[in-house]
Order: sequence, then structure tokens, then C-alpha cells
Amino acid sequence: MAETALHPQLIQRSATLDLVKKAPGAFYLLALMGVVLTTWTPGFFTAANLTNVALQVAVLTIVALGMTLVILTEGIDLSLGPMLGLCGVAASLMVIAGYPLIAAVAAAIGIGAALGLLNGSLIAVAGMPPFIVTLGTFGIAQSIATVLTGGDSVVRLPGYYRWFNDGIFLAIPVPIWATAAVFAVTWILLYQTKFGRYVFAIGGNRQALKLAGTRVSRYHIAVYVYAGVLTAIASFIMTARMNAAHPTIGVGLEFDAIAAVILGGTSFEKGHGGIAGTIVGALAVGVLRNGLNLLGVGTEWQVAIVGVVIITAVGLDSIRGLNL
Amino acid sequence: MDRRTFLKVSLAASTSATALGTASQQAFAQAGKPVTVAFFVKNVTNPFWKGCRIGAEKAAKELGVNLEVVAPTKPDNIEEQTRLVEDWIVKKPDAFVFVPVDYKALVPSIQKANKAGIPVVNYNNRMTDVDVVSYIGSDDEKIEYEVATYLFKSMGGKGKIVHIDGVPAASTAQARKKGLERALKEYPGIELLTSQPGQYRRLPAVQVFENLMQRYPEIDAVVSANDDMAVGIAEALAAAGRGGKTKVTGVDGIPDATAAIAAGKMFATADFSGHDQAYLAVHAAVRYLRKQPVPKEIELPIVIIDKQNVATFAKTPEERTVPSWDKTAAAQKG
Amino acid sequence: MSVQTHLLPAGIARRVDHGVFVVLSRLLAIIVLVVVLAILSPQFLSWGNFTNVMRQASLQFLMAAGLTIVVLTGGIDLAIGAILGLAACLSASLLSQGHLAWGIASALAAGLAAGSVNGLLVTFGRIPPFIATYGMLWIAHGLGYVFMKGEVIYGLPEAFRFIGAGFLWGIPVPVIVALVLLAVLHVMLQGTVLGRAIYAIGGNPSAARLSGMPVRARLIVVYALSGLLSGFAALVVIARINAADSSLGEDLLLPAIATVCLGGTSLFGGVGGIAGTAIGAVILALVVNGMNLLGVQTFWQSGVMGAIILISVLADQVGGSRLIGKRS
Repeated sequence: MAETALHPQLIQRSATLDLVKKAPGAFYLLALMGVVLTTWTPGFFTAANLTNVALQVAVLTIVALGMTLVILTEGIDLSLGPMLGLCGVAASLMVIAGYPLIAAVAAAIGIGAALGLLNGSLIAVAGMPPFIVTLGTFGIAQSIATVLTGGDSVVRLPGYYRWFNDGIFLAIPVPIWATAAVFAVTWILLYQTKFGRYVFAIGGNRQALKLAGTRVSRYHIAVYVYAGVLTAIASFIMTARMNAAHPTIGVGLEFDAIAAVILGGTSFEKGHGGIAGTIVGALAVGVLRNGLNLLGVGTEWQVAIVGVVIITAVGLDSIRGLNL
Repeated sequence: MDRRTFLKVSLAASTSATALGTASQQAFAQAGKPVTVAFFVKNVTNPFWKGCRIGAEKAAKELGVNLEVVAPTKPDNIEEQTRLVEDWIVKKPDAFVFVPVDYKALVPSIQKANKAGIPVVNYNNRMTDVDVVSYIGSDDEKIEYEVATYLFKSMGGKGKIVHIDGVPAASTAQARKKGLERALKEYPGIELLTSQPGQYRRLPAVQVFENLMQRYPEIDAVVSANDDMAVGIAEALAAAGRGGKTKVTGVDGIPDATAAIAAGKMFATADFSGHDQAYLAVHAAVRYLRKQPVPKEIELPIVIIDKQNVATFAKTPEERTVPSWDKTAAAQKG
Repeated sequence: MSVQTHLLPAGIARRVDHGVFVVLSRLLAIIVLVVVLAILSPQFLSWGNFTNVMRQASLQFLMAAGLTIVVLTGGIDLAIGAILGLAACLSASLLSQGHLAWGIASALAAGLAAGSVNGLLVTFGRIPPFIATYGMLWIAHGLGYVFMKGEVIYGLPEAFRFIGAGFLWGIPVPVIVALVLLAVLHVMLQGTVLGRAIYAIGGNPSAARLSGMPVRARLIVVYALSGLLSGFAALVVIARINAADSSLGEDLLLPAIATVCLGGTSLFGGVGGIAGTAIGAVILALVVNGMNLLGVQTFWQSGVMGAIILISVLADQVGGSRLIGKRS
């Protein structure tokens, strides 16, 4: 064939083909599920259901975006789940106690930032493994949230709080606006600022940075603070959805977020990846759950299937990685 | 064929499959389909809900309706049950028979079901601020009050007790605790040493109680919020050689507890039959759909099980006889 | 990290000094805990309470033993709780029908099978251990639910229950079982080829591969072993509570990880050991026992555990490195 004689870079390569090859496992999973579900269940491809899925996934997406940055720095944050519960509980308790909404929002964001600061400092300055540090803050956040409410939920929130989930602006629900806004801000931070370049460098090339004498700690810490702030934002939507704040509401969320990020193509090592993949990953998780429900798959089997799907999607990625 | 063509062909294939699929589903929807009831439980791990499921299935079989059991994959998970409700609203079953994992947090989702026009029968954990066809349950506060009073009387109104609570956020746990507190007020000679949650599960309850046994060398009785924990506690007491000195009560009436009562390891429990509740709840839903009269509330009678009457209650949910709808409905106050 | 550490041979010097620091600091922690609790709680220093603490510590240790070995290779096993639950359900159903040998075998076989799958996924599947074992967690839970169908199995044979609830020479059987296991694993890790391979893979994975060691085969064995130990722990747990349901194992993962960390085993791999895990289990049991004796609400337990994890690892990080004279 004539092509072998030419320099590879001169061969016309289809841009779409490159995109398809590079697309993470989540993309194929999503496409496959979309086809299967639309064919097999009458309710899937309707405006009502798709809006549902988007809303259901909003909280997960926002948290997962923060988690993406953390994983890009070769870290992990297990505390985001209970952090969501704690921020939600704190904000709603303040609102019920009569404080203005803005104070409650600020307090929740402050808590998220403070916990992020704790995480980041122990990881970046003291050099402790992220898994352990965030496991520790996981327990601490869980305890504080539970003690604040005595294990119960916080209810009788004022009606305006529900705007965070039920509000509609220009025909689009607020949570979707929030997700889009968070995505935009994160995108700018990651791809257009010095901070973003450091995020990738901390993940891919930390030794070089240290040897060059750069003070990476502050950026490293900032990553965890950012994840905490995003979690706080997500907590408002979650609380509004339930019209109640519960200390354990975030249980398991951090694992789902990690799964969304990994499915979306960001890997634990070497700082590869990005946030566009995370959105696909989060959608894949959401559509999978929604699809299994619509198909009427028994709960017991759903649990096993989720495990198989996650492993397969990531496994396919690794196998493809060998050929590329 | 080369890759580009392959992609185009698969795109075309999937689009036509989609179109065909949607068309066939719509056609199927027009044809007559059986009545479907979505039956919600809190999890698939606690045997209490299995009893509920069996009762519901018996009712569904009797009435000739299709029953779909719906439970969160992460037990008692609020966010997941919310999603389940939303997803099931899309599927448009004929009715929901529903128990909330958290009776407050699930209100917005059930309100959505109300808006979608799906009739809801609420059982086991009472919900407020939503439209329900009927509520079927037992009065948890009264149950624990009766059990505690029965216990305190047998203690001669004097002694030290320990309370092992359920899941603190559960309405059943909160109500039962209130019942215990009411009984305690009436028996000032009874001292409550401590109240600790056992999460309604055996292993956590046993671990907590083993440590409490060390802290309090003298415990005259243990009031446990459910049977699963109570049996574990009774066994822990026996293993420590304190079985004869401490009375243990629970709630639910599960087979393990009735066996323990018959063997003298447990003192008493109360019949809290998920089986009966679910059976009646499904009946209520279907009768409502068939435009038959349904009481707004069905409260099941409280029966205390102790050594004297344990034989009648030692049946598995499969063997248990179903309650009579007509008798139960008539016994309600409207 | 200073340049000097790169010149040290394969982390041995680091390991020895780190080991000394770990043992000393943990022993100090135990002494402090015992003294404080003895002062604050009159019931603490009783034989009954002591056997309590030791029994709970043994169960903690059994859960964390397999995890320790996996973590030593630089990996993680998130499925240990779920595998324990699945093994418990399978064996309980056979045991309650009187099949003693089959019941025990089924728990071990289930654990071994699940662990081997983990190992295969991690090595040949090239899936990160976090994801592979996380997926297995869901699968094992799901299979457990399918198998149990919401039932609980009660009433296991008396002979079997001896493993969990019996006493031998006045000592609870689980304690004896744990001590035996500790000895076996310690010998394996310090004195066999597999043991040395485990430390090598964790300490320096590329060197291990280049040295011609069958890394993949070793890793599969490691994960299979972790699964097997989970199955074994399942037997002791159900022997103790005389019941099994599909929710068993759900909340056992986090305390197990805390135990491993408390024991000084580094999650980076290559540093630590099984003796540390045993000490960690004792400390954790003392803390929980103390909280219950002092009437601390159980809500605080996860927070206290979290704080313990942070403090112990931070202390290791700061103190351990000071001993060797390097600054991180």
C-alpha cells in the first residue's frame, strides 16, 4: 500500500476517528445503553425521563468535577460524600434557625473549603497518602454531621430553599444551570490558568516540579479546597431535592464520583484525563441506574450488574490502551 | 469494509433499530395489559421486608394483579429511593404501595407521584404532606409502650434497664422510643441506664451491647427496638452467663425471636407483621383501583408474644395465614 | 525527599527504622490508653472486659489480615467486607442444614474464588486495584442478595459455634485463632519467597519486574489469599452471632483499613507487616471499648476512628522520617 511509504504525519487522518478512538469507555457504554434502552423501554427516550436523569446526575457531576482535579494530581478524596451531608445539614440548620440564606450558603461553602484545606495540607505539606487522609476526614465529617442532627434528618425548610432543585430559569432547571456553570468555571481553571497547568504537572511530573524548586503546595492544597467548595454547592441541590438534609445522604457518593471520573478516562496515574470525560462518565452511571430501573431488573441483580459494568468499561479502556 | 463505512453502517442500523423499537413499544402499550402495582420496600437485606414481600405477593396472586418489588441497591439509601420513585413514575404503574426510607426526605418525590396521578398506598412508616389513598401500619409508639409496660409490670415496677435503639432517623425507631419514654414516666421505679443505637442489625447491636455489659454489671432488662437485635443480645447474655438474670424484649415477631421466647432466652416481643401490613396494603391499592371502599387508615391490633402464646406465632411468613380484609376494615374507626 | 534516600539499598534501612518507630509508638499508645481508661472507668480492668476487648480485636485482626498483605504490594482490596458477607451467607445456609465440612469449605472456596478474580482483573486485566475490587464489592454484594433473597439464616450447629463463641483454657477461641493466624502470616511474610516478593513488589515494582520475578502470578496469589482470609473471617463472625444475612460485611471495610493504617503499614506499599496490624486491631478495640464504657455516643465513633487514622499516619510520617534523618 502506498501509505506505508509516506511519513505518518502526512497521512490524512480523520478527526472524528481520532475522537472515537480516544473516547473513554464511558462514551461507548453510554451509546450502547442509549440504543438498548430506547429500543427496549418505552419510557427512556422521553423528555420527562431524560430531564429526570440529568437532574439525578447533577449532584454527582458537580462532585465528580472536583474529584477529577484531585485524581489528576494522583490523589483521591474519600471525604466528599460525608462532606456533602455535613454541608447540607449545616446550611439547613442555619436556615431553620433564622439566619439569612446567604449566611447559610456561605457557611456551607466555608465548611467545604475548610475540610478541603485540612485534606490538602496534610497531603501536600505533611506528605501523607491521600487515601488515608481523606478516609480520616471522612470519619470526622460523618461524625460531626450525625451529632449535629442526632442521626435524624433536618426538615421543615422554608419553601424558597427548594429553588435550588426545582427552580427553572429560561426553561432549564437550576441544577442543570449549576452543573453547566461549574463545568465552565472548572474548564477555565483547568485549561486556561496557571493553576490548571500545575494541576496536570503535580499529577504527571511532581518530582520535576520539586527539583525545579517550585512551591507546589499551595496549588496542591487549592485542588482539595476546590473539591470541597464544589461539594458544598452540590449539597444545596441535594437538600432541595429531598426537602430535607440528612447526615448520611452522601454515603457512597464519593465512590460513584470516582467511578464517574475513571470511566470518563481520567486515570489514577500519570495525570491523564480531563473533565469532559467526567461528564460522560457521570451520565453513564446515571443512565445505567435509570436504565436498570426502567427495565425492571431486580434490585439484587442490579447490584451485581453495576459491578460488572464498571469493571468491563475500565477493563476495555486498559486493553485498548495496549494497542494504541 | 473500512472503518468509516463501518461507523456509518452501525449508525444507520442503530437508528432504525431505535425507530422500530419505539414503534413496537407504543403498539404494545395500546393492547390490554394487566394491572401493575409497584411495591416498595426499604432494602433487600432485612428479613422483615421479605415478610412484607410474601404478604404482598399473596395478595397480588389472590387479586390477579402484577406485583413489581422495588428496593434500593444500597440498603435504606434515601437518594436511591428518590431516584427509584422518579424512574417508576415514568413507567406509570397503576399504583404505588410505598414505605419511605426516610418519611420526610421522600415527600417531594411522592408529591411528584401525586401530580402524575398515580395512587399511593402508604404502609409501615407514616408519611405526612402527601396524598395517600390509605395508611396501613401499626402504631409503633403504642407497641413499644405496651411491650415496655408488660415488662415493667413483670419486674414489679423496679429495676435497671438498657435501651438498644434502631436506626435513629427511622420513624419506627423514633416512635418506639417515645413509647418507651411514656412507659418510663409511668414507672418511676425503673431506671434507664443508657440508650444506644444498634442500627436494627444484629452484629452492630451485639458489639455495642457486649461493651455495655462490661459497663453495667447489673442489668435487669434490655428493651430492644427490634427482634433481630434482641435475639443477638439474648445470645450475648447467655454466652456471658447472664442469661437468667436479664430479661430481653424486642418488636416484630420474627421466627428466631419466637424460638428464643419458647426456649426461655427472650422474655417477650410484639407482633409487628410486615406480612399482614403488606397484604392489606396491596388489597387497599387494588380495591381503590376497582372503585371499592377503602378505609383511610388501617391500624393493626397490637399483640404481645410471650411464652404463653408463642406457639401460635411461630410461623414463617409463607405459612402465616393472611388477615381477612373485611374483618380488618370493619374493625377500623372509618 | 532528599537525594540520599535514593542511594539506600531497596528501602531496607528505611524499613528497619520505620519498623522500630511503629512498634515503639504503638506500644506507647496502648500503654497510654490502658492507663487512661483504667483511671476513667472502674469496669475497665476486669477479666470480663479484657476478654471482650481481645475477642473484638481478634475479629478486627481477621478482617484486616488479608488487606494488610494486599496493601503491602501497593494495592488495595475494597471487597473484603462484601466477600465476607457472601461467604457468610453461603456457608451459613449449608451449616444450618447440618453440613459442617461443606459449610466451612464453601466459605473458604467462595473467598478464594472472589479473591482470585480480583487478582486476575488487577494483573491480566490491568485494571487499577481500586476499581477492580470496587467492582467486585458490588458483584459480591449482589450475589449475596440474590442468594439470600432477603432471608436471614439462624441457628448454626453447636459444634461450629465453638469457633466464635467458645472458650479454650479460659481464652475466647477467636483470640486463639487470631494468634495462630498471626504467627502463620508473620512467618510467611518474613521467611518465604512469597513474603519477600510481596515486599519487593510493594517497595519497588519496576525493580521487581526487571528482576525476572513472576510478579503477576504473585499478585494473583496475594489477592486470592486476601479473599480466602475474608472467607475465613466470615466463619468466625457467623459462629459468634449465630446468624447470617446479606447485609453482613457492609460496615467492616473502613475499620479494617483503619486497623491496617494504625498498624503502620504504608498504603504506598513495601513498608509494614502483619504484627503491626495485630497491634492496630488491639488499639482500635481499646478505643471502641473505651468509648462504650465511658458512654460516648456511637455517633462519635467514626469521627474518633478518623482522627486516629490521621494522627497515627501523621505521626509515622513525621516521626519515622526524623528517626532516619531525612525530611520529607
